[in-house]
Amino acid sequence: MVKTDLSVSLGTLRLKNPVMSASGTFGYGLEFAPFYDISRLGAIVVKGLSLAPTPGNPPGRIVETASGMLNAIGLQNIGVERFMADVAPRLTDAGATFAANIYGRTTDEYSAVASRLSELPSLSAIEVNASCPNVKEGGMAFGATAEGVARLTGAVRKSTTKPLWVKLSPNVADIGSVAAAAEDSGADAVSLINTIVGMAVDHRTRRPRLSNVTGGLSGPAIKPVALRMVWEACKRVKIPVIGIGGIQTAADALEFILVGASAVQVGTANFRNPRACVEIIEGMEVFMREERLPGIDSFRGKLLL
Amino acid sequence: MPHSRMRFVAGRILRNEGHGDIFYRLEASVPEPVEFEPGQFAMVSGWPGSDPLLPRPLAIFRAGSGQKGKGTVEFVYKVVGRGTALLSGMHPGEPLSLTMPLGRGFDLGGDGRLYWLVGGGVGFSTVFPAAAALGRRRAEHEMFLGSRTREQLPPKEWTPGGDAKGRVHLCTEDGTAGYFGRVTDFVRERMTALADADASRLTILACGPREMLKDIALAAFARGAEMQAALENHMACGFGVCWGCVVALREGEKTGYRRVCREGPVFDAREVVW
Repeated sequence: MVKTDLSVSLGTLRLKNPVMSASGTFGYGLEFAPFYDISRLGAIVVKGLSLAPTPGNPPGRIVETASGMLNAIGLQNIGVERFMADVAPRLTDAGATFAANIYGRTTDEYSAVASRLSELPSLSAIEVNASCPNVKEGGMAFGATAEGVARLTGAVRKSTTKPLWVKLSPNVADIGSVAAAAEDSGADAVSLINTIVGMAVDHRTRRPRLSNVTGGLSGPAIKPVALRMVWEACKRVKIPVIGIGGIQTAADALEFILVGASAVQVGTANFRNPRACVEIIEGMEVFMREERLPGIDSFRGKLLL
Repeated sequence: MPHSRMRFVAGRILRNEGHGDIFYRLEASVPEPVEFEPGQFAMVSGWPGSDPLLPRPLAIFRAGSGQKGKGTVEFVYKVVGRGTALLSGMHPGEPLSLTMPLGRGFDLGGDGRLYWLVGGGVGFSTVFPAAAALGRRRAEHEMFLGSRTREQLPPKEWTPGGDAKGRVHLCTEDGTAGYFGRVTDFVRERMTALADADASRLTILACGPREMLKDIALAAFARGAEMQAALENHMACGFGVCWGCVVALREGEKTGYRRVCREGPVFDAREVVW
């Protein structure tokens, strides 16, 4: 049997397949080694890293909702130094392709994290989190407008030569113009969508269910919104678009590629099924063989309208 | 060979029956026998569809060997929401997904110690395996089980197993069985009556409502006893990647957020910010 080729290009970066883990749902990657060989993934995008370790939000961090969940973790993370010293070498030893999601309170902090991480030869890309809805500073402060995204992308671009991805928020009026702002400011790819701001309350205790009051909605509930936004972004920009939002199955992943995404990230599905990413890769291989497709590019963006 | 490292496996329901007012006992066949520490848990799902989306954390009640080298695993759960309600409607033969064993269980290491096991409500399902392990070791132990009413205590025929069975004290808030009152009050009374020599070698292993754990912990500290508390929380993944299930723990002068699923669910009660 001919080995199916799922490899894709994201600018200068070649990935063995288009399936990546989404930041914040995959820890630092090694946590999944007991479930499968993590080098099988197109790439691992590790949990958002900041300059210093971050404690995160108080408990009351997650709530389950219809076919989805709200989270307000608040970017609890080990910080860039510990990641570089303790985690990155082990990811490299495991043969994993990995990208780092980064976060800062100011553009200077983002740049400092990017600059430090760029010293890692084995790091494949930097993904700028311009969209976390659960922290007061940074994240959404930049991601809410095209101007903010342009300023942040431009600043980080100056501090790294690594492939630069900008992760966009869906909590904007026109995703196309935000994606274009990232492209114009030097991004090599955009990834979308991050979570949709939501809220859950308890009518008996009369209190919010999350300590942060609002949180980010993820899971299959958001897939139609994500698919529409990825489609819009793909029409607007020439750089690769990485589709994210509610992907649970190979069919879901293929839908994002059909509307134009070059790759996908799988997030919340990892919580429900720790093997979700590899099952999606295997399902895509089956589809490619069934449809006799020579490669992902022969399917990407081929939506019949 | 039984595995003690976490795996994601496909299981099949062998039994899933209601008992008393609120409990269900679920037994599943799994590909290989599982070896677990008392207090460890599994993430369990199997109902069709994606609502609810996430698996449910259930304490492992018992694990054994099945036919043809397979394993079995048992859980006791209470219907508290949509996920457990759907689980309770599943039938023998239907598939389950299980990730297990997860978390850090009870530390049963101390020789010469006196163990009191306290289970509030469905919390008994977490302390029974500890009683079984202590029984097998012939370690000195007693068990205290509390509930609102008689029908919410574990059925009499459910025993932890083990050779040396400890005394079991039942407590009901409505007085329909055993001590008339909360298990917390009974344990506190017993603790007050304890000789200093026994208090200093006492380790309490407890699972139940947070108020119960807190009150017993404060009483235990006052007598110089140790306590390990099995905590619960909402979880998305159960194996340390979502960071959703954290609790505040004391770390020297400061506090930090630690994951119930990974650093717990069993914590030294002195470290917990009650």
